[in-house]
Amino acid sequence: MSTWEQEIRERLAGLKLDPAREAEIVEEVAQHLENRFQELAESGAPEPEARRLALEELSEGGLLERGLRQVEERAPRDPVVIGGGGRGNFLPGIGQDLRFGLRQLRRNPSFAAVAILSLALGIGANALVFSVVNATVLRPLPIDHPEQVVFLETKNAGPSQSFPNYQDLRDRNRTFAGLVGYRISPMELESGTGTNRIWGYLATGNYFDVLGVKPAVGRFFHQDDDLHPGASPYAVLSYGAWQSRFGGDPAIAGKTIRINRLPFTVLGVARADFHGTELFYWPDVWVPMMMEPQIEVGNPWLDNRSTWNTWVIGRLKPGVLPAQAVADLNTVGAELAHEHPAENEGLEFLLAKPGLIGSMIGGPAKAFTLGVLGLAGLVLLTACANLASLLAARAADRQREMAIRVSVGADRGRVIRQVLTEALMLSVAGGAIGYGLALVLSHLLSRWRAPLDFPVQVNVDPDWRVLCFAWGASILAGILFAAVPAWRASNTDPNAAMKGAVPAWGRKRAAFRDLLVAVQVAICFVLLSSCLLSLRGLQQALRMHLGFEPRNVTVAGFDLGLAGYSEAQGRAFQHRALRDVQQLPGVQSAAYSNSMPLSIDQSSTTVFPAGQANLQPSDRIGVTYYEVSPGFFSTLGTTLLAGRDFAWTDDEKSPLVAVVNRAFARRVMHTENPVGGRYREGLTNSRLVEVVGLVEDGKYRSLTESQEPVVFWPMSQRYESNTVLEVKSNLPSAEMAVEMRRSVAALDPELPLFGVGSLNQMLGFAFFPTHAAAVALSAFGGLAIMLAGTGLYGLVTHAVTRRVREIGIRMALGAQPVEVLHLVLGKTLVLLAIGSAVGLALALLAGQVLASIVYEASPRDPLALGGVVVLMFSLGILSSWLPARRALKIEPKTALRYE
Amino acid sequence: MEEKVPEVDWKKVSAELLILSLVEARPRHGYEISKLIEQRSGGTVRFYVASLYPLLYRLEKRGWLQGRWVEKAGQRRRRYYRLTPAGRSVLGSQRRGWHTFVEAVNRITEAEPA
Repeated sequence: MSTWEQEIRERLAGLKLDPAREAEIVEEVAQHLENRFQELAESGAPEPEARRLALEELSEGGLLERGLRQVEERAPRDPVVIGGGGRGNFLPGIGQDLRFGLRQLRRNPSFAAVAILSLALGIGANALVFSVVNATVLRPLPIDHPEQVVFLETKNAGPSQSFPNYQDLRDRNRTFAGLVGYRISPMELESGTGTNRIWGYLATGNYFDVLGVKPAVGRFFHQDDDLHPGASPYAVLSYGAWQSRFGGDPAIAGKTIRINRLPFTVLGVARADFHGTELFYWPDVWVPMMMEPQIEVGNPWLDNRSTWNTWVIGRLKPGVLPAQAVADLNTVGAELAHEHPAENEGLEFLLAKPGLIGSMIGGPAKAFTLGVLGLAGLVLLTACANLASLLAARAADRQREMAIRVSVGADRGRVIRQVLTEALMLSVAGGAIGYGLALVLSHLLSRWRAPLDFPVQVNVDPDWRVLCFAWGASILAGILFAAVPAWRASNTDPNAAMKGAVPAWGRKRAAFRDLLVAVQVAICFVLLSSCLLSLRGLQQALRMHLGFEPRNVTVAGFDLGLAGYSEAQGRAFQHRALRDVQQLPGVQSAAYSNSMPLSIDQSSTTVFPAGQANLQPSDRIGVTYYEVSPGFFSTLGTTLLAGRDFAWTDDEKSPLVAVVNRAFARRVMHTENPVGGRYREGLTNSRLVEVVGLVEDGKYRSLTESQEPVVFWPMSQRYESNTVLEVKSNLPSAEMAVEMRRSVAALDPELPLFGVGSLNQMLGFAFFPTHAAAVALSAFGGLAIMLAGTGLYGLVTHAVTRRVREIGIRMALGAQPVEVLHLVLGKTLVLLAIGSAVGLALALLAGQVLASIVYEASPRDPLALGGVVVLMFSLGILSSWLPARRALKIEPKTALRYE
Repeated sequence: MEEKVPEVDWKKVSAELLILSLVEARPRHGYEISKLIEQRSGGTVRFYVASLYPLLYRLEKRGWLQGRWVEKAGQRRRRYYRLTPAGRSVLGSQRRGWHTFVEAVNRITEAEPA
């Protein structure tokens, strides 16, 4: 064969063709000559004669050279000639590389498509996750000089301050240009769309001024608008509420709206990009803090130092360092502890980035999003490993081209640059598509509102940071997957390659490809196991005992305080509503409470053991409390372990009673049987409460909590205007919900209901993080399967193609199909096993991290890990099937002719 | 109405026409094309390697043909040429032109009735 090529090359030498083009022509024409030679030989011509005839046809009056000279325009020579640096021609060289690369990719559209697609998926996943990280962790609030603004939290009490403490901090500190207080609050708003419960902010008068934000319409309120309780009936609307509830009325400023059935004057509208000072919470309205008694009817706390429910952020004075501010705050804190020891003992401050309720959500959110970003990175790495092996396989096919390039004087840098250019063209194309995907998905995610009675939303629309990230990831990916093949290609030994010998590095390259496949399998294993572990965790979590039975329970909430009911009116209403609902057909039992376990609305208080003398503030124990009506436990299916349920006779005139859970009995009362015992409320003016019942432990604030102490009080002894009706019935929840709405509307047609639906729907909030993790991980698992599948397929296909001749010889010598399969699949199985073993070890490590995010995910779940092993091997068999079948169909005769 | 015969180099066109016609039904490689020309013309017309490939490359350059390396099981990769949409319309018009030309020549060269 090589003599034909030699002959052709001699004839083309004068044309100075592009080396790659020349190689192609030589290959094609040589094949023709070989066929012609065979034909002549078969027709009886002696070999030398056949060869002479074929060569004569090649020479035919110099037609080939002349024809080609006309057709093939003279290729610009590689700027690098032997010994020449060629640096001066860098830019034109790049253009040439790009053109050449484009031609190469167009010749190999399936390679280009697979490469671009897997990069698009990998980079798209990363860009999407990064835009979430960007939105939650990196992007500052849309306020003036956000870097000066910090969130105040305390070491002991967490993210909230008492309002009197806030006032003292505001007035006594020396390091803040301003401190603002705010609180998330439900309100009842009347608008064109009817009466609705909405969510807003109570905010101190200086809120907008300290943040330095500008209104879209009208004005904001100022400190002067917020001086005396109940004297500032003003409202600022969010842009969204202005649009959706008031039709974007341009003359809204100055108009009166009704909140909690009281008139409020609209001062202005916030800009569309300003959603307050918490990233996940998009309020409809801001109301001055001094209106707290009107907004949180029946629960005034502006003067109460023991109610800690104001969030505080501050703007540091220019030049003040956070550490100085903390020292300053702690000085004030020490004064407050001295002045009000019962409430403020041990008051110490910390600063956090604003936007995620300090470190309460900030910590876990950061850990979670960065964890997911890590997984997305693994997906991209799998895609890169995939491409590296594809590229390495292609580089092997292009040995000869590289050899020619090197032999005509291209230096090593030039060859590396050519391979890198092609890789970067692929990765930038993939990155662009991936970024487009991320753009669409993040746009959907930004518009998506969690199905909760709470405005949880976050804007994850990509900005310049995400664009930079996607670019960076694309370029890094390109360099990553092309680096080794490029370096290998540049080490081509022209002599050996032209002779068709497999050079030493060709074998090394095979080893490199094997390594990549093993790495890919390992990463895929980790991703898949993370995915399966979290799905199993979710399954477990859904079956876990919650301390109540959500099946067949329908709930509906309303707030009588917001609707202007006095306590006496409210009590009467609650009674009548319960009685009416109990009469409904199909109702087994019904009750009401101030809130439900595992909803977002949880209240806590502090209690003391009863028997202990000399109580200190540090002896207090934080517990969660619920105010419930009789029948609450049976309606919710909570087991009463000892004692009794509440009765309607437990009223204001009878001694205070409580039902507690086991954790409360153990922690507060140090007994397993607390019935008949007492605990103490309050340090000064304290009162004793008798425990009349003991119930099982459950989940109250989150699925991941360990057993928390909880106390239940009879609503008839402690009134609460916020009411959740619970009904247990065999009727479908949707039907029951309609009946409950009808009953309540019969009593007050204006009263807005919220959170109406099955208890299981409501629990969506508690299950949300687990669901989110499971969805994200499943998506990554799916991607990993696809990428690993193509990787293995590529490996086996290549193994078959490379060994066609060997397989043919073996089959000619009588090898059985099993032996052929062993030849082709043996290495794949070994690589699969090695990759899986490494993956298993990594998965066990990753499982530890996962267990902290996804509740009930056990890092050593044998079913999940076993499932992954089975899945990986099925994947290996599936992706090897086609090429292996091809190997079995090889005909020895054809194979032997194959070079 | 009589169709006007464009002034063309019929020797060159006929070579192009042969190749375009042969790849009309399915893609073929160079050797196959040369064999078919030889077989179907009963050995009258022959394209040797030296003239065939420059012509194929020219047709490819004009965008009438598209060459692709195809690897088939157990064989070396070969370059197959297929007709592009542009090539197809050129083939159509060349065919029509050729028929007109041949008819014209026939009318001239046929023996006049005595």
